[in-house]
Amino acid sequence: MATPPNTASESFDALYRRCARDMYAYVYTLLGDDASAEDVTALAFERAFRRRTTFDSRRGSERGWLFGIARNAALDELRRRRRSAPMLGDLPDDSARAPEEEADLAVRRATVRVALAALDPRDRELVALKFHGGLSNAEIAAVLGTSESNAGTRVHRAVGKLREACHAPS
Amino acid sequence: MRHRDPMSDEQRHELDALDRALSGEPVDPTHRELEDLVREVRATAPEMTPGFAARLQEEVRSGFPTSQERPPLRDRRALAGRWWMLLPAAGSLAAVIVALVIVLGAGSSETITTFSGKATTFPVERDAQTEEASPSSGVTADSADGSADRANSAPAQRARRSAPSRAAPSVSPPPPAASSNPAGPSTTAIAPARARKVERSAVLALRTPEGEFERTTDAVIATVSRFGGIVASSQIGASDSMGGEATFDLRIPTERLDRALAALSKLGHVTERNQSLQDITASFASAQERLTDARAERRGLLRALERATTQSAIGSLKAQLRTVSSRISGVKGELSSLRRRADLSRVDLTVRGSGVSGGATGGGDWTPGDAAADALRVIEVFAGVMLVALAVLVPLGLIAGLGVLVVRTGRRRRRESALDRG
Repeated sequence: MATPPNTASESFDALYRRCARDMYAYVYTLLGDDASAEDVTALAFERAFRRRTTFDSRRGSERGWLFGIARNAALDELRRRRRSAPMLGDLPDDSARAPEEEADLAVRRATVRVALAALDPRDRELVALKFHGGLSNAEIAAVLGTSESNAGTRVHRAVGKLREACHAPS
Repeated sequence: MRHRDPMSDEQRHELDALDRALSGEPVDPTHRELEDLVREVRATAPEMTPGFAARLQEEVRSGFPTSQERPPLRDRRALAGRWWMLLPAAGSLAAVIVALVIVLGAGSSETITTFSGKATTFPVERDAQTEEASPSSGVTADSADGSADRANSAPAQRARRSAPSRAAPSVSPPPPAASSNPAGPSTTAIAPARARKVERSAVLALRTPEGEFERTTDAVIATVSRFGGIVASSQIGASDSMGGEATFDLRIPTERLDRALAALSKLGHVTERNQSLQDITASFASAQERLTDARAERRGLLRALERATTQSAIGSLKAQLRTVSSRISGVKGELSSLRRRADLSRVDLTVRGSGVSGGATGGGDWTPGDAAADALRVIEVFAGVMLVALAVLVPLGLIAGLGVLVVRTGRRRRRESALDRG
């Protein structure tokens, strides 16, 4: 039985508050620039709001449903732009936000950013869904349209590549 | 083809550790590196600007009232994403239409059968009505003769039906024209026509609807009686499986034959109807002449007998009188037979009943067995309609489902291709 999670604006507002930051980070990771990430994030929430009555809890969680909408919107945007998302140059610079951080911390984070940018877009998306979105393997499987086992395997593989990239000599 | 990719235990442990680290729970020291990785990756997570966060928050709270930048896109995509939902409805509609066409077609075929059965009836009935309404048809002579008979011999006919043994004397006074038309010169012009005698006969075959055999045979007898006819002989054989067959040898008053045939034809589907006419005027006139001659001869013999003086002459005249009287009786009987043939038309009626399906007993009251048979028939028809509907709906559904699958797969692949370009 379809149970609309957000028939009331309050419940959708709660969903927004739970997911907005994570979803923006995920979308940004896919698109690579602030403007597109903001447009797609807003579009994804608007679509979710319009389609909130079509949500079926038997097919997955609200979070997975919302990230699926965001993913489709982001991929449509990527297709529209006909270009891939530049990662490295547009990633936010932590040093600007935390000038007091120690140098080794800044270096580690820069290493992670470089490693992320070096990943295949599909692996980078998996890392974003897992680390930024905080989705479970089942939710990732729902977003990608695959099985949970396959999603877990792909996540494990992507994380392994990220670890290798982080340890790779620069 | 999507293949399963089973994970090893080590992979499971690492994924569990990753999930624990992501949820902020302590992880096994062997996976401390994962915990650091989670912290570092999350630290690099892009964040919304406060301005955008505030605007989006407000949009969410107000239910996205200002979405004029994208409504066409949204509406178009909403329709594009839901057009396939109309396919099952369209398929159902098509199935219903096809089922209706088939059912109505089957019904009309029965109707056609019915009408085809009555197709021979309608013209015949129309002819019968025409014959009754217009004496100028091919049966005019007979109708005229019938009129003559109505004026002349209908009472005698009724008398014959009630007392056949007295029928012969009623026709004995010759000639009919003179005795039945005492109106004078004005009627002499039509006297020859009234003198005509025509024998009519008909062959009629009916097929009864299922289970209506007994009711139809009863109705035949009632109809014959209603038109003043008689059932000379009948043979009725009924069976539940075959429905039965009955043959009737009927005698119908000639002046009511057409109406009687029309009424009988309505009792079932007419499968055969033939009528024939035979002019017996010459035979009738010949018999009348012979009767007149014989009577004249008898009168002469009687006069001669009055004048006879010798015993031998008297004996000879008496013998001749016996011969003439015997001849007169024979001619009277012949005339009576001819008149009966003209007054009463012979109808050979055959009634064939369709077999009774199920447990229906056919005819009579509507029994629980009939109800069960009807219910079974309804179920059969419904199952047939559903089968036809499924025969249409299933292929349409498969095609629609395949189309939806292709569209979705294509759209997904096009979207995924955006990642490949990266």
